[in-house]
Amino acid sequence: MNKKRLMYVLLGVMMMALLLGCSKKPEAELADSKAVLEAVAAEGGEKYAKEELDVIQSEMTAALDEMAVQDGKFFKNYDKTKEMLAQVKAKSEALKAEIPARKEKARTDAQAALDAATMAVTDAKALLAKAPRGKGSMADIEAFNADVQGLESAITEAQGLMTSEDYFVALDKANGIKDKASEISTQVTEALEKVKASKKR
Amino acid sequence: MIHGLIKTVLLLIALSIMTGCKSAPVPPEVREAEQQRIDLRKAGAEIYAPEEYKIYKRSLRDGQIHLASENNRFIWFRKYKDIKVEFTGILAQGKLIEAKVEEQKRSKSVTVANQIDFLRNRIETIRKLASLINEGRLSSKSLTQAELQLAEACALSDRGCYTEAEEKLKVISKHTEKAANSILPILNRYADNSKITKWRNWVNETVESSKRNQSYSIVVSKVDKRLYLYKGGRSYKTYDVELGTNGSNHKMYAGDKATPEGKYQVIKKVPGSRFHRALLINYPNEEDRRQFAIAKKKGLIPQRAAIGGLIEIHGGGKDGMTLGCVAMENHHIEELFRIVDVGTPVTIVGAIEYENSVTSAMKKL
Repeated sequence: MNKKRLMYVLLGVMMMALLLGCSKKPEAELADSKAVLEAVAAEGGEKYAKEELDVIQSEMTAALDEMAVQDGKFFKNYDKTKEMLAQVKAKSEALKAEIPARKEKARTDAQAALDAATMAVTDAKALLAKAPRGKGSMADIEAFNADVQGLESAITEAQGLMTSEDYFVALDKANGIKDKASEISTQVTEALEKVKASKKR
Repeated sequence: MIHGLIKTVLLLIALSIMTGCKSAPVPPEVREAEQQRIDLRKAGAEIYAPEEYKIYKRSLRDGQIHLASENNRFIWFRKYKDIKVEFTGILAQGKLIEAKVEEQKRSKSVTVANQIDFLRNRIETIRKLASLINEGRLSSKSLTQAELQLAEACALSDRGCYTEAEEKLKVISKHTEKAANSILPILNRYADNSKITKWRNWVNETVESSKRNQSYSIVVSKVDKRLYLYKGGRSYKTYDVELGTNGSNHKMYAGDKATPEGKYQVIKKVPGSRFHRALLINYPNEEDRRQFAIAKKKGLIPQRAAIGGLIEIHGGGKDGMTLGCVAMENHHIEELFRIVDVGTPVTIVGAIEYENSVTSAMKKL
């Protein structure tokens, strides 16, 4: 009788161990991690933190794989999955917290470039206004003025990009405008110096 | 009896635990396929192989459903052989898409690079043509916009964003089209064979008269920006000249800044001109007056417009340009001023040759 009881107890302990081994699938942790990861994407992760987001997405896939492996086991142990999901969540949260600052930096960089471009166009216009009127290099001046009009249209486009928060495109455009405006200023300055020199002659 | 049954079941379970009770492992192809899907998306499969990628994703989803259903079976009955086969197929499908995406990207990169080169050359050609006829003012705005967009398209192409680059290239094409159209009416004058034939006849008559009278004659070719001085029917001197803005058009009325085309003569020599020295010609001549009247009647020029006058060959320098006159370097006008007299024929034409700098540049358009 005592032997029988002992055997039942032993078997019962084994069953308990078996049941304890079948730990609960981390559905809540998975949902949390997915939600934070989606929030990163919604915050602009694809634009402002593409590489980090790709890494986290790969880690998420690895966590899902680990979970699938555990799903396939009789003794399920989701500890590693949980750990991986927690890491995904933590990294996602950290990245999400960084995005507003990156976005702000992109905005200020683009705005600074746009301000510099606007200034360069204003300078070019001021130089053109100084250019001698009448005969002189009228065709050139008129062509430069048309160039400046083109730059002004581009500035309007860049401002539109700022409004639509396409900061990187706006930055590229602003830099292009600035370069072209500086080029025009150089050409106008050269033309003015030429005129001055010919007057001295 | 019941105890015996329980005992047997528990023993069986214990036995299975002891003998390593676990299912077959999930095939590695499952994870590889998931990673492949991410890689394909990153590579741009949605853009470069949209249909194939859609089918691939459907296959992957089916595979995952089959995997889940296999996972739901009791541990001893799970078999992943079919899952492995299915995911191996999905991976093969993905590899084909990967190859197609790469091929498409390679092909797009070549197409985009060619288009960028084409548009860059086109912008350069239009600028050159506009400069040839002093009409940068008409095309520069559009060309500047095109140049800015081209720089952006290049940056996009460098980053492998070919579809976005192609979108930019379409916008650039519109700008270059607008720029080209703004100067084409003027350029076409220099490619119009009937006009050139007429101009050539004027030049021949002028040279002939120089020969006949053993005198000096002047021919100005607008497209060449050259003044040819003939003596006794032979080329005697050649000078570079410059025209004003709109100088490439034929003068129609006062203030249009165009340089007249026609057969004229020097009617006055102005030694103390604002532009160093000047040779005043008899614009408007009879033909100019006739054309002016017709243009006014047809409403081609403002009703209150006057025909204008005071067209000169003067100094002031080539860089100085002019408003409808012909400008030369001061030392050149001094020389010409000394040589020619009042009455010297002056023929101003758009072009002398059928194949001229404008027509050859236009071929690149």
